[in-house]
Amino acid sequence: MTGLELALAAFALMLLAIFLRVPIGVAMAVTGFVGTWMVLGRPSATLSQLKTLTYDTFKNYNLSIVPLFLLMGQFATKSGMSGALFQAASDWLGHRKGGVAMAAVGACAGFGAVCGSSLATASTMGQVALPEMRKRGYSDALSTGVLAAGGTLGILIPPSIILVIYAILAQQNIVKMFVAALIPGILAALGYMLTVAIYVRVRPGSATTAERVPMATRMKTLAGIWPVVVIFGLVMGGIAADWDWTQDGVQALFTPTEGAAVGAVLTGLYGVFTGGLTWAGFKDSVLATAGATAMIFFIVWGAQLFNSFLAFTQAPAQLVTWIEASGYAPLMVLTVMLVAYLVFGCVMDSLSMILLTIPIFFPIIQSLDFVILGYALSPEEAAIWFGILALIVVEVGLITPPVGMNLFIINSMARDIPIQRTYVGVAPFVASDLIRVVVLVAFPGITLWLVGVLFGT
Amino acid sequence: MAALAPGAQARVGRMVEAIARIMAYGGGVMLTLIALMVCASIIGRQLDGWLFLSPIRGDYELVEAGTAIAVFAFLPWCQLKRGHVAVDVVVQALPPRLKAFSGLVGDVLLATVAYVIAWRLWLGFGEKFPYGSDAVRGVFGFGSRPFFPETTYELAIPVWMPYGMALIGAVLFFVTAVYTVWRSLNWVLDGQEGMA
Repeated sequence: MTGLELALAAFALMLLAIFLRVPIGVAMAVTGFVGTWMVLGRPSATLSQLKTLTYDTFKNYNLSIVPLFLLMGQFATKSGMSGALFQAASDWLGHRKGGVAMAAVGACAGFGAVCGSSLATASTMGQVALPEMRKRGYSDALSTGVLAAGGTLGILIPPSIILVIYAILAQQNIVKMFVAALIPGILAALGYMLTVAIYVRVRPGSATTAERVPMATRMKTLAGIWPVVVIFGLVMGGIAADWDWTQDGVQALFTPTEGAAVGAVLTGLYGVFTGGLTWAGFKDSVLATAGATAMIFFIVWGAQLFNSFLAFTQAPAQLVTWIEASGYAPLMVLTVMLVAYLVFGCVMDSLSMILLTIPIFFPIIQSLDFVILGYALSPEEAAIWFGILALIVVEVGLITPPVGMNLFIINSMARDIPIQRTYVGVAPFVASDLIRVVVLVAFPGITLWLVGVLFGT
Repeated sequence: MAALAPGAQARVGRMVEAIARIMAYGGGVMLTLIALMVCASIIGRQLDGWLFLSPIRGDYELVEAGTAIAVFAFLPWCQLKRGHVAVDVVVQALPPRLKAFSGLVGDVLLATVAYVIAWRLWLGFGEKFPYGSDAVRGVFGFGSRPFFPETTYELAIPVWMPYGMALIGAVLFFVTAVYTVWRSLNWVLDGQEGMA
């Protein structure tokens, strides 16, 4: 059996195991271990590597961003920020037709700026905004659909756990990835608001309008969101802005890991100050962080074994040669990859998809010459651009049936709404995601412009 | 079919849960301390030389070791709560007992993996642990004593110390995983899965 055949067979068996509900980290680790054994003819190399591999994976300085951002997100859910954000957004937008749904999108975007997880954003904002929309006579489909979609802003708007993992796998600069995600994230929020506006015109019965709130009240509630602005500004400003103009290059105030620590401490302090983060709340936050952190690190650990097996088979390199020789148009290859993410996203979670595919897809992306509207992307630009596109399409998986975690979370808050109605309600937002992906593919400048401005690449 | 000592399983389950919870809290406190330490170090770095302020030496390696220990401490809780991601859309369509059986298979495989992690980490610990006579080390499977005990770069902390703390989490991860195999087996015997 050639290396490529072995890799393909192993990949197929692993997918089978995953679909039979073997935990994904376990499936990757076992496939990687047995596969490497078959390539080398002995298990001793992997066994000896495992003496240090687990500890070395868990101590990775860049990966330590993940638990710190998770803790920050958990503190944020307890701090009352979600309520302040929704209040401000609905005071400014509520008088429009469908305005409270737009406000929910805006509040999700704001919450996404202090929370790197979609599920936490969906559940926190759902608790605040869902009862309000139902009280005001919004249809079941619109109110659950908009919140499920809005939840994905948690990860589309930096900080973002998935981008950290992508940056580590693809050996890209985490700060540049965060900066690149900013404008596409804002576009996502605006796109969702536009979708609401169109939705309520097509289905006028699905939403209501409210009284216009006087300007003085609006300004007061807007001022209430200052902690989000300050924390996001300090964390992102601290890791991405130039703090010393006298020296060449960008002199950041701190590393992304340090930024995550600052964010966690500030959010925690604010939570304690507002009284939202009690001792019981702290314990809750820790348990939620523990579960999510262990889950993520365990898959990353399994992916390491699987990826070193893939490298031994030389399958990724052969695939690159094959695609180069076949002369497929780069944009077509990219489209196939993005569609694959959309299809698998229907049943798989985003992190597992990124860990499974990036070792195979990324070398291919790097070998292709993307020339779009006469502009040739450098390898680094292509890497950043592809990372953002992949992030968006894997996140669509959170809101596509049959397995869309955000749909389940929102639906579980309103048990009287059949899940089918949530499926219907989220469909226009999925369409908005797809249109945005096409726009970002056609105009890489939208993603790369801010990176160029800040880092001069 | 009758479950396998359901009373004993429930009692052991409460004990495992209490231990996993304490470990998770411990990891959370560690993570919080790291975050506070990093903030102190940043403040010290910005105001270096003013009053008694200075950056904290070795903050980088403290973050690394602290995170590693915390993540190991988080593993038992995640396993106890079935927190490891799996695709259950296919088995959802199966009868409840078969679905429970797929969970049992997953837990058995996970317990095996957890055993390998703990076993190899134990040997890795042995390679860094510089004490004990050859006879004593042989009993623990540590092999010959390392000539240079490995230390971290700046603070020169012997690496066996964080390894040892990580080992506690790794061993309890395996213990929890073994318990979850028992629990899943009883779910299969009951004919359906209970609450994790």
